[in-house]
Amino acid sequence: MDEISDHEVARQHYQLRIRVAAVVMFLFLGGLAARLWHLQVLHGGSYEEMAQENRVRFLRLSPSRGRILDSQGHVLADNRAGFTFAVVPGELKEPRTLIEHFGTTLGMRPEEMMKLIEKSHSIPRFRTFPLKTNMSLEEVSLIKSDTKRVAGVSVEVKPVRVYPLGESLCHVLGTLGEVSAEDVARNASLGYRPGDLTGKTGIEKQYETYLKGVEGWERIEIDAKGRQLRVLEKQDPVMGADVVLTVDASLQRFVEDVFKDRAGSVVVVEPDTGRVLAMVSKPGFDLNLFSPSISRRDWKLLTEDPLHPLENRSIRGVYSPASAFKIVVATAALAEKLVTPDEKINCKGEMELGGQIFRCWNRHGHGKVDLRHAMIESCDIYFYELGLRLGAERIAHYSSLFGLGKPTGCGLPQELPGLIPTARWKQRNYGESWKDGETLLIAIGQGYLSSTPIQMAMMAAAIANNGKIMRPTIVQEIRTADGKTVFAHSPVVRWRLPLNDKSLTLLQDAMVGVVSDLRGTGKRCRIPGITVGGKTGTSQVVRLATRSEGDELVPYHERTHAIFVGYVKDMPKKIALAVVVEHGGQGGESAAPLARRIICGYYGVPDPDGAHE
Amino acid sequence: MFQNETRLYRGVHIKFEWALILAALLLCTVGLCMIYSATSPMGQAGKVLVIKQVTWCSLGLILMALFLLFDYNVLEKWAIWIYVLAIVALIAVWGLGKVTAGSKRWMEIGFMRFQPSEFAKLAVVIILAKYFHMRSRTGEDDLKHLVTTLGLAGLPAFLVALQPDLGTAGVIMLVASSMILFGGVGRKALMWLGGAIAVSVPILVLVGEHLLMDYQKKRLMTYLNPGYDPLGSGYHIIQSQIAIGSGGLLGKGFLEGTQNQLMFLPVKHTDFIFSILAEELGFVGCAAVLGLFAFLFLRGLDLAEKARDTFGVFLAFGCVTILFWHVVINVGMVMGMFPVVGVPLSFLSYGGSSLLASFLSIAIMVNVGMRRFSY
Repeated sequence: MDEISDHEVARQHYQLRIRVAAVVMFLFLGGLAARLWHLQVLHGGSYEEMAQENRVRFLRLSPSRGRILDSQGHVLADNRAGFTFAVVPGELKEPRTLIEHFGTTLGMRPEEMMKLIEKSHSIPRFRTFPLKTNMSLEEVSLIKSDTKRVAGVSVEVKPVRVYPLGESLCHVLGTLGEVSAEDVARNASLGYRPGDLTGKTGIEKQYETYLKGVEGWERIEIDAKGRQLRVLEKQDPVMGADVVLTVDASLQRFVEDVFKDRAGSVVVVEPDTGRVLAMVSKPGFDLNLFSPSISRRDWKLLTEDPLHPLENRSIRGVYSPASAFKIVVATAALAEKLVTPDEKINCKGEMELGGQIFRCWNRHGHGKVDLRHAMIESCDIYFYELGLRLGAERIAHYSSLFGLGKPTGCGLPQELPGLIPTARWKQRNYGESWKDGETLLIAIGQGYLSSTPIQMAMMAAAIANNGKIMRPTIVQEIRTADGKTVFAHSPVVRWRLPLNDKSLTLLQDAMVGVVSDLRGTGKRCRIPGITVGGKTGTSQVVRLATRSEGDELVPYHERTHAIFVGYVKDMPKKIALAVVVEHGGQGGESAAPLARRIICGYYGVPDPDGAHE
Repeated sequence: MFQNETRLYRGVHIKFEWALILAALLLCTVGLCMIYSATSPMGQAGKVLVIKQVTWCSLGLILMALFLLFDYNVLEKWAIWIYVLAIVALIAVWGLGKVTAGSKRWMEIGFMRFQPSEFAKLAVVIILAKYFHMRSRTGEDDLKHLVTTLGLAGLPAFLVALQPDLGTAGVIMLVASSMILFGGVGRKALMWLGGAIAVSVPILVLVGEHLLMDYQKKRLMTYLNPGYDPLGSGYHIIQSQIAIGSGGLLGKGFLEGTQNQLMFLPVKHTDFIFSILAEELGFVGCAAVLGLFAFLFLRGLDLAEKARDTFGVFLAFGCVTILFWHVVINVGMVMGMFPVVGVPLSFLSYGGSSLLASFLSIAIMVNVGMRRFSY
């Protein structure tokens, strides 16, 4: 009862006030409606005119992409101004006039232009849509004066990549390409739009986020004739950060010159720091073909070339390390104390295992050899024996200690890991059990075993710096346009080889012997005054290929790869390197002389054998 | 014809206000279309905003349904705690808040960004409704009552003004004043009030000179003289008026507004959404939207009148005034009748907190309407 009376009171008490409130509200709303009527109906015409006059353009201000420099500050990838001729679909009233005016100067067919203009309606109406990109200053100056006459056209500046060295270091620098539709969708926050360029390979890809910069924009008010009245709002672009490489462009070019007309790879590193001083992969291509975009014809030529010039062999070429792998087997045997330095094994030129004959490369046999001589002469029998003592698992373990079987993480994308075969791996991939004969093949670096040139160079570097396994790097520093360093490389020791000093000295001594000894397989790398340590390798391409005396008789693609890994550690500036000549024949014959010329060039000494080459 | 009468239990009839909810949803739909149009020049980012707003809309409906399960007198029971919570949240925004466009209004709760000031308005309405309900039984001295009610509204309004968000602070004070006037003010109190205003205005002007942020001063100056700063706030008022005016009687058509597409207005999907509406749908579209609002207010007032107790009357009335003042200030602002103070248009402007608060206001009205004695 109480509540009901309360309700009665409320009802009578507030009825009048509710009515007053309703009237007040209607007065206010009526006021708003009157104002609307005033603006929209009474003065709608004049506001309509003002809206017609209102023309604003939204221009994108492209940041210039960060440069790529070598360790000496030489510019390897730079930018120049490229011009874009664009239309504003919301302003373009007469596409026919536009085509008549600019068709010939732009060198575009009318149908082609019409198609693009139709396509331009897919973007917001008052944004710019490019008709022709990458025009030179001369081309632009021809049409610049005409742009005022036709409504709805705009000329924008966009930086375009230039590569002063052309083909040099092409695989490392990498290429740019149009961002894919998936990338645009995936990286919406990064502000990519269709038509934007993005790194596709190499440094350009790996450091895209640093190199890219941040796009700016500008809203300008223009009159009906397209004349700019004023800038309404502006956001300056932020230039991309520069990437400084550890590579020395002059050494790189020297090595490329030494290696010219061959297929394969050379990687030169600084053993103590892991810095990559030169990374050559041949054949290559001219980077400028890709800027601003590669023609269909060139692309076809490059992708269909049987020698795969687009591949960076230094990190993606997988080769059997062949006898160069004996460094790993010797290390394993010494570390596991399965052999003493003085123990001699008799090489008769062949041995028998499980009913199969395994040969040494030297059919006459090396006689009784100890570890040092087995390395110097690259005796296969000796290492077959070590392989049997170690077993495949332990060889695999020491291989991974040398960094094989995994990408080195040098700072380039798409690096391949190579392969360390084990019994488990074979079971999984072939469904077959491991055979002892395969262990023998692994022990001399053949069979399924494979590694990349950079892994081989790091293998030599590990011996050169007394067993430290370094992480290789190709990027020295990243610094923003205003000079702030956002990344600086400092050497990373990944781990150390489990070798005592005596074993290390023995190994180093043996590798020096490979080059300096008269019977050494790498003697063609000898340089007076410089102590070079190294190991040759001859990587079989066709299994069970008989080693022929005259390589000329073997078809090119069946010839062996020539490999040489080496180092110089007794000079103030140390280096380690790997040379892989695809189908180059024997390591000692074909790769070692190249290594000699590179080392001579690096230390600035005359090539002792230059006259003969 | 929208009113379904259901006999829930003896003596109590449920009258469910379908019309009110339908009108709110209609406004929401118009809002979504306009947000879509306003954000279309932004590309993908714009579509994300539309989807977000749809999410908020659904959340609002769920919240509304949940609230309708309870009798509105829970609000009376919890009035003080709701009020305290609102004050605490407003203070917390100082410590935890996010700075957007120079002021701290946002709090981040998990994935949601949440604006306590939007809910402070509701808290003020609830506490004042409770206060007037109590007073209707006791009948206290006029002046003391005026000071108390103004104080209850003034504290949160002050905290909101500090954010600084003068628009919302103003709305809180307008809502409170409407409720106080509705509750009735004696002659003596009126004279006191008049005197206080006469004294405080000069003080406020002085304080304003020193305490107001630059952009706030600019906005006030802009109001007084739109030509004063063509590229500052005044520029936007002019552009907004051009947008509205050029819409004419029938508008330029959905997605066809040139002022919209050219992005003349900076926050067009939030505070300036009405300009887009006016440009693209013209006077007819605007009148329809204002008509829908008028219908909402009338239904709300009707429900207030029929409420079962004083608390219900004030609650429903307060909620109506919240929506009312938002509409008046926002629409007046974009047409250049009021300073640009940054008040969203209920249901139409983009913004989760504002939308939720608007839905809650409707929910309260519906709740008051459905739990009344029928005889």
